[in-house]
This record gives sequence, structure tokens and C-alpha cells, in this order.
Amino acid sequence: MQEFVQISLDGALVSATKGNTVLDTALAYGTCIPHLCHMPNFTALGACRLCIVEVVKNGRAKVTTSCTLEVQEGMVVLTNSDKIRRLRKNIAEMLVAEAPNSKAIQDIAVRCGVKNVRYSFRNNNCVLCGRCVRVCGEMWQAKAIGFVGRGKQRQVDFPFGEKPSFCKMCLSCVDLCPMTITPCDGPMKTGEEYFCGKCESQLSMNEDWSDSCAQCNLGKGFGCARSEGCSA
Amino acid sequence: MSRLSTESELNTLRETLVSARQTIVKSITMCGGTGCQASGCKAVVEAVKAELAKKELADDVDLKVTGCHGFCEQGPLMVIEPGNIFYCHVSPEDAAEIVETTIVGGEAVERLLYTDPGTGEVAKTESQIPFYAAQDQVLIGRNKQLDPQSIEDYIAGGGYKALAKVLAQANPEAVIDEVKTSGLRGRGGGGFPTGRKWESCRAAANGQGRYVICNADEGDPGAYMDRSILEGNPHSVIEGMIIGAYAIDSNQGAMYIRNEYPLALKHSQVAIEQARQYGLLGDNILGSGFSFDVEIARGAGAFVCGESTALMASLEGKVGEPSPKDIHTTEKGLWDRPTNLNNVETWANIPGIIDNGGEWFAAKGTKTSTGTKVFALTGQVKNTGLVEVPMGTSIRTVVFDIGGGAPEGGKVKAVQTGGPSGGCLPVSKFNLKIDFDTLDKAGSMVGSGGMVVMDEKTCMVDVAKYFLEFLQDESCGKCVPCRVGVDRMLEIVTDISQGRGRPEHLDLLEELGETIAETSLCALGKTAPNPVLSTLKYFRKEYEAHINDGQCPAGVCRELISYKIDPDKCNGCGLCAKACPHDVISGEKKQPHTIDQEICTKCGICHDTCKFDAAIVV
Repeated sequence: MQEFVQISLDGALVSATKGNTVLDTALAYGTCIPHLCHMPNFTALGACRLCIVEVVKNGRAKVTTSCTLEVQEGMVVLTNSDKIRRLRKNIAEMLVAEAPNSKAIQDIAVRCGVKNVRYSFRNNNCVLCGRCVRVCGEMWQAKAIGFVGRGKQRQVDFPFGEKPSFCKMCLSCVDLCPMTITPCDGPMKTGEEYFCGKCESQLSMNEDWSDSCAQCNLGKGFGCARSEGCSA
Repeated sequence: MSRLSTESELNTLRETLVSARQTIVKSITMCGGTGCQASGCKAVVEAVKAELAKKELADDVDLKVTGCHGFCEQGPLMVIEPGNIFYCHVSPEDAAEIVETTIVGGEAVERLLYTDPGTGEVAKTESQIPFYAAQDQVLIGRNKQLDPQSIEDYIAGGGYKALAKVLAQANPEAVIDEVKTSGLRGRGGGGFPTGRKWESCRAAANGQGRYVICNADEGDPGAYMDRSILEGNPHSVIEGMIIGAYAIDSNQGAMYIRNEYPLALKHSQVAIEQARQYGLLGDNILGSGFSFDVEIARGAGAFVCGESTALMASLEGKVGEPSPKDIHTTEKGLWDRPTNLNNVETWANIPGIIDNGGEWFAAKGTKTSTGTKVFALTGQVKNTGLVEVPMGTSIRTVVFDIGGGAPEGGKVKAVQTGGPSGGCLPVSKFNLKIDFDTLDKAGSMVGSGGMVVMDEKTCMVDVAKYFLEFLQDESCGKCVPCRVGVDRMLEIVTDISQGRGRPEHLDLLEELGETIAETSLCALGKTAPNPVLSTLKYFRKEYEAHINDGQCPAGVCRELISYKIDPDKCNGCGLCAKACPHDVISGEKKQPHTIDQEICTKCGICHDTCKFDAAIVV
């Protein structure tokens, strides 16, 4: 039987299914918390750190990722405080500088309020969100790809760099990759490094959004495609 | 060697061992720690052994090779009883004279005694040396008394008494209370109260099957206190683990020791075997019905595996990567079981706390940071070595009174505490007390206890760059703030050190530092910005000099300095021209030379070769 707990989400008292994460709960209630590595029903990796929230306990606020945090009775969560917005913007800025031509990452950056980027662009093809690794290992039990190397050398690869026989070329990994959406031909050309702010919020080719929208504060400041009421 | 099945059998064994030892009055104790092994103590031991055999004294003199004594700068070290005579820089050639004069004659060999470089006073015993006098060597002191590979030595010195006491009382909660009374906080870096950790692990409702782990994956550059304790007194760690396991109701423990510590591995292995033979590990320990065993796991060289969740992943055979700690490891750790992980030094403190009571431990140190802490004092300081002082001792005492200040001609500028993710504190902050809370507030940390002293020739931007390089290399790469953020910080600091810095970089560094510290997944990332943030806080002028004036005040950052020959000092000897690998120095004989700046790579060899200080950095 499903059990419920009460949590406070940006001041609103909501009822959350026990065992669910704060991120899933918030998304189900239409409060958008930007996220990248999170996928529903997969192990939380906590790698991209975009879904950070503040959890207030005994008057002290702690920053943690909402995708790894299970709801608990009486939990007080702030998803969009000044501090969270500032930190999230900095993370999104780092990410978009790694992969400036990924539409999904550009979208995220815009949603997090990034207007200009203070770092040199790197043009990587991968931001190591690990979506591909988890769909391969957890959904198909294949583990045909995984993380290799440490720190700056970390990358996604086949075992020993060779495609194994148990990779059936199902291409789930490609479907879930945030780099595979065709970039729009607008911003981020050399010399035109800016964001138009008219992005949809799509992370990959395989993405579901909840039907409800709380017209959360996050949408203010950019043209959130989901609700006209949010446009500034 | 037979199995001990009751407390009284242990006591009888101890009495027999002690009385057997009383018959030998003369002893030579040789430090066999890592530092002294590097300076050649093994050859000295062989030479002394041969000399004793020649003089037919081998049975009358107890020759013992022990763990680290702490004064590594002066190694190899030797202590001779009777008289507690302390010799330093002993070489194999001294063996004959030592045996002849000191063992047979009872006189000290004057030239092997320690001479204070400041006052010129000669010290005959350890207690007369300032390095030792200001210390309180609770843990390191025991290293000197025993052969690490002999459980008999440990038992004779009161070892496993605390364990017997705990098992006889049969009250695990009382053990936890005693540790709580002591106020002991984790020595691995976090400073979490040990008693509270044990309590929550015991309370974890997850049922049977708890684990205790000893974290010996010490990887900070320049730090070797855990290594020295495991090498010098492994039984104290094992005894601490058995007591802890009893208190939290665990039957299985693991020691995670880094593979780069072969001696610590060997000594721990020997110690575990011996404890098993005596029945101090295994089933039904001392007839109490409590069973516990320890296994050793070897770390494969990742710095991040010192982080508790990464260490547990590594123990499970997975890639050593940290995982989120929203649920504490005391509830769900190794194999999803409640797990209690403590550092080597924390475990080594436990037997003493049980033996002497929590109050005894709490009486040392400050109110919130009790007991003594071992620090590895390294860098630009006269007396490098292991230093054990009560918490709350000032930095000044450690660096100047014990460490003796900078070597000749130098001036201490800063000290870096807490390893690569600690912070740099300037001389003006040297009155600060070393305890968890004070250093934390000052932007540094006690950490595992590394202390690197820096002098005026150190560029703080360069220091920040060095530590960032280390951390960027050792980051597991899982989360964005640590992998990308630290890399971006390094990029910016490198730009500054190479003259491409811009004034807005400093604000960006601070903002980036806050983001990394707040949002990283594990403690490695959360503390990674400390080297930059603390140097920015206390040495902002140096950063500004690099950015605004294009100068490196300490003359370290290659891109910002050039080498010149002072025509007034140069007498045209030509040494520098011969030494220069690129042949860019020219000049007539006995005439001032010049450097061709276009080709010069600023390697600094001319500066090092010149005997007249004519090759200068500008």
C-alpha cells in the first residue's frame, strides 16, 4: 500500500509518496527543478548537481541534490531560493561551457538564468551525465558501456574500447543522450555567443513531462514554453 | 603461544612477560620508521648486531627496532638504556664506538648527541630537546617502547588490558558512554564525534550484520601519521577496533590500507595473525562469547578512496567513487549494512580512553576538541617530523618551538594545514589554536594533520596551483562542480600565474569556490576550493601583483620573472655560461656577462651555480 508523507515544497504543503525522491515529487506537482542526469525509475547518480535544493532542518539550511533525497515527514524544501538560483546558475554556466552546442544544455542554461559565459568554450561531445550508462546497465542489463578513467580523463566507453557482442545496437543510449537533439541554428556561433531565451525544455529525444504546472517562479525570466503565465 | 580463554590467563601472561624482561637492563632502541629507514637505519642495526655478537653481548643487550619516534629530520635515531641516551644521525661506522663506549663503558658518545642549532646546547636525553619537550606523545610515545611485530611487547606494556576490561564489564552502552565522555572526534579530517557515530551505528535498526572499518588510505602529500601508527603499533589499532566492534555489536571488520604502505601492510598482517593465535581475534574472545575478526584490504592508489563511501564501494569491489550521503553510512554502508568507519588514529586512541577513562582524555586539549593529535610537520622548517601535541596548542608553538622555524636564511611566511584541501594561514594568524572549530573558522582545517610550512620564497599563487593540480588529478570525475569546477579554477589560476590574469578573475574564483564547496557530491569536492579561497583571503596582494603588475613577488612564476646578471657583482668567472643548457650567457673573461632574454628559458641554473649571487631574479 502506498504511504504518504507531508512535506513543505516552497511553502506549499504537499502530500508525497513515501519512498519517492524530492525531485520526482516536485516534478509531479509541476514545480520545475532543472535536472540533467536524473531519469525517472533509474538509480539516482547525483552527478550533474543541477537539481540542488535547500533542506531546512532545525533552522539550518543544507544544500543537497533533490534526486538523491527521499521525502520524509515534515521535510522543508526550498527549490528556488536566491542561494539555490545563484549556485545552480554557476553549475549551468560550467556545463554549457563544456558543451555549448548541445541544445539540451543550452535550454538548461537559459532556464537557470545564464546570460553570458565567463569560461572559454570546450566543445565536448559528452557531459558525463551517465544516462546512457544507466539505461544500458539497468534497463537492458547489458552493461555494454560504462565510465572509464578518473577525473579529467573520465569518459564513457565500451569495455577495453571495443564494442562487445552483447551490445545489440538498441540505441537506447542515443535516445536518452542530451547531446542528440538537433541544435537550433540560432545562438552560440563563434562571435555570437548568447542565448536567445526562447528554448523549450527538452532534455532528450525521449522525455515526458507531467501534465500539471504550478507556474513556478523558475519560469519567470525566460519564456517557459509550458505556460504563458510564466513569461516575463 | 597458546590461546587465551580468560582475562586471568591474559594477566598471567603479562606478568610472566614483564618479569622475564626485567632481567635485561641494557637495551638499544633503534627507530625503524619510514624516515629512519630512508636514512639508513637498517645498516646501522646490522652493524650493531654484528658488533654485539663480536663482543659476545648479544644475550645481555636487548636490541629492538621500533616504529617512528617522530624526529625524522635527525634520523637514524637511537635510544640507549640505562641513561635514556639519545643519539641522532647514527651511521653503521658508529656501531663499534657505541657498543664500546656506551654499552660497555656507560658513557655517552659526545658527537652523536643532539646539538641545538640555535643555542649550541648539547642534549643527552630526549626530554632535553625542545622538539620533544613541548610535545605530549601519547600515541607516538608508545611506538618507542615496542617491537611492532611482537604482540608480547604490546601485552607486556599493558596491551589488550582495555579489551579485557570491556569484555568483563559486558556493557556495550557503557563503552559508548566512555568514548562520548572523552569527547574524541574523528582524526581522519571530518572531526565527527566518535561516540555519537558509534551510538547511531548501534541504534541503526537494520538488524544483525554491522561492519567496522579502519580507514588507512592516507593520501595527503607529506602526511604520514597513520602510516607511522600502523607501522609502529598496529596492535593499538586492532585493539581499538575490537572494542569498537563490541560496543556497536559487529562481528566483522576491515582495514583498508593503501598499497603504497608495504611496511604498514606487513606489520598489520603480522599483528592480526598474532592476535588470532592468542584468541584475541576470532570466536569467543577471552571466553566472553563475543566473536570478531578483521581482514585487510589493499587500496589501489586512488586518493578519493579515503572518502568513506568511496572506500566502501572499493571494498565491495566496485569503482572507488563516492555516493550521496543523504542516508548515513552508519545506517546503510558497506553491503548496505550499518557500518562504522574510523581513521587509524581514532582507533589507536580508543584503548587509552578505556584504560584511563574518558575524563583523562577530555582533560587534554580544549573543550570541544579533546585529546592529542599527531601532525606531520614538513616543508621549510628545521625539524621536520611527526609532532604530537594536545589540541588547542598554538600554531606558533608547533612551527617555531617544536619545528624550530625556517631553515637558515629563511623566514616563515605561512603554514598549510589539513592536506591538499586545507588552507594556508599567514604568520599573523599563528596565535590561533589548533582545534577543529578554530581552524575551520579561519578558512583552513585540522584535516588529517598535515602541516606544510612555507617561507618567503614560496609564491602563494603557485601553491594554490599545485594543490589544485593535485585535486584535479585525484577527483573521481563523477560530479560536475568537482570535475569541471576545479579544472576551471586551475585554468584561471594558471592564467594568473602566467600573466594572463584579469582583475575580474578574483571574483570569479570566489564565486566558483562557493559553488564547488556547496554543491559537490563528497568531501573532496566540498573542500577542494580551500587552497584558493584561503590564499585569496590572506594573500590577495600576491594575486593582485600577478594580475595588475605582471609580477611574481616571490620570484617563482616563470612567465613573470626574468634572470639578469648584476654587473657589479659579476666577476666574469664564466661558471654560469658553462652551466647554461641553452648557451644564452655570453661575455668576455673577467668581464660582466649578460643573458640573452630572447632565448632564456628561465630554468634558474645560472642562479643556482653563481657563487657571487650575481645572477638575480627580477
